[in-house]
Amino acid sequence: MDSRFFQAFVDWYLISIDILLVLGVIYYLKLPKEKRSISFYWLPFLILSFTVFYENLGAYTNYNFDFKKAANAFFGNTENPRFNIWVFNIFNKHISTILYLFLIKSWLVPSKKKYINWMIITFFIAIQVLQFSGIEPIYLNQPLIFTFGANLILLGSGFYFIGLMTNEQYLATNPLRLLSFWQMTFILFTYSLTYISSVSLMYLYNNYPQLLTSLLKIDWVMGVINLGILVLTIASPKFPHFFEREPFFEFEKKLNLRNRISS
Amino acid sequence: MNPTEDQIYVIIFSTLFLGGLMSTFVIAMVFIHRQRQAQNKQKLEQIKSEHEKTLLNIENEIQQETLTYVGRELHDNIGQLLSLAKLYLGSAKPEKQTEGKETINQVISEVRALSKNLNLDWVESISIEEFISQQLKKIESTGYCNTTLESEFELGELPKDQKLVLIRVIQEILNNAIKHASPDMISVRIWKDENLKKIELKDNGKGFDPSLESSGSGMFNLKKRMETIGGDISITSSPGNGTLIHLLLPN
Repeated sequence: MDSRFFQAFVDWYLISIDILLVLGVIYYLKLPKEKRSISFYWLPFLILSFTVFYENLGAYTNYNFDFKKAANAFFGNTENPRFNIWVFNIFNKHISTILYLFLIKSWLVPSKKKYINWMIITFFIAIQVLQFSGIEPIYLNQPLIFTFGANLILLGSGFYFIGLMTNEQYLATNPLRLLSFWQMTFILFTYSLTYISSVSLMYLYNNYPQLLTSLLKIDWVMGVINLGILVLTIASPKFPHFFEREPFFEFEKKLNLRNRISS
Repeated sequence: MNPTEDQIYVIIFSTLFLGGLMSTFVIAMVFIHRQRQAQNKQKLEQIKSEHEKTLLNIENEIQQETLTYVGRELHDNIGQLLSLAKLYLGSAKPEKQTEGKETINQVISEVRALSKNLNLDWVESISIEEFISQQLKKIESTGYCNTTLESEFELGELPKDQKLVLIRVIQEILNNAIKHASPDMISVRIWKDENLKKIELKDNGKGFDPSLESSGSGMFNLKKRMETIGGDISITSSPGNGTLIHLLLPN
């Protein structure tokens, strides 16, 4: 292994998220079979695995320049073969946002779930329109797409917090012991922060580079905490005294139905 | 100040700012949540106490009616039978004595039947269908009104409080029909769809204008009672066109 490999992969952020993935895999495999097939557990696991995958892919593009150059050429970018923002665009701005919307949907009260469905459809169409019309090419920064996605996440968070304050099942819980509450709080703040730094990226880069670097570093810390909460969600059956049962709605119904069928 | 130092200050400041903002957010959320929790608890307690109050009222009403019925029975039926028995037993003829003893036996069985009405245990032993059928028979026995009962499915065993409310509501609707509408025909139908169990009570009497204030309070009372058991009521009527009432119960 050469120094470029260490430069690309040996970094506190990547090591932290790799460790979280290992923990996530261990706890996921320890889950009983019927729980593994329930979205409350597999969705956080999917997001965790997916995030670790694309962050490592991003690091790999920095390690393997030929691969990055070929991928850039494939997307039509021959001018700046050193760019790897397409990784971040596709995996973080597009797919991760959709996955987080699905995660938020799983915690919403049933009457609000349909709004998230529409948000996902609208977001998907908006991505295609903005990319294929050439307004926001995939190999450049995509502030419009990210703004739209971040706003949808913020809106979804709003729905969650409204549910938390109005739904009887949520009112019967202690939010400090609800994983969904912490997850939503961190999603809300991470997306707000990323939103601010992404929208003002060029301005900060030219005028206040220190602030931009600092914001990005804080953003990484928030990202690690986010993934940490996802691991906690997967591991939550192992710590029943720390966390309260979520008012899962569909999850409980499915589990009850399965238990009834199996009995 | 070199850039690295600058960066450290910015990171510290931003972290503190973000941390403060997040803490404020979490504290505010928990505070609002606790407040809403307390409000919700208070609301639930109020609903529970209203429910208990309604049930108590209904029990009182039923007991009051039962007492009136028992009083009437004692005076008109048992009192008469006892007088007759006294006459028979006072006679020197042996056949009259025997008739007197038979009358006493009849009085005993009448008293036993009456005693069953004195507490509300009968509510548990009777189904809603049986209750409606009994009420309709009573109405038909007056000779002024025909009745029909059509039951497409069994309402099943309901909790005592639900049954009590339902019995009282049905009784009130039938009493109102007899008292105010003078119908020739009363029909009751029980059926269910995907979400609701329905009891339809229909008469061809005078009908009334549901928008009038005089009829409004009675309807409000019935509606409130149905709501205490998670049900609802819909009333359709107009002067001269009879009345159609649907009692709706969740499945």
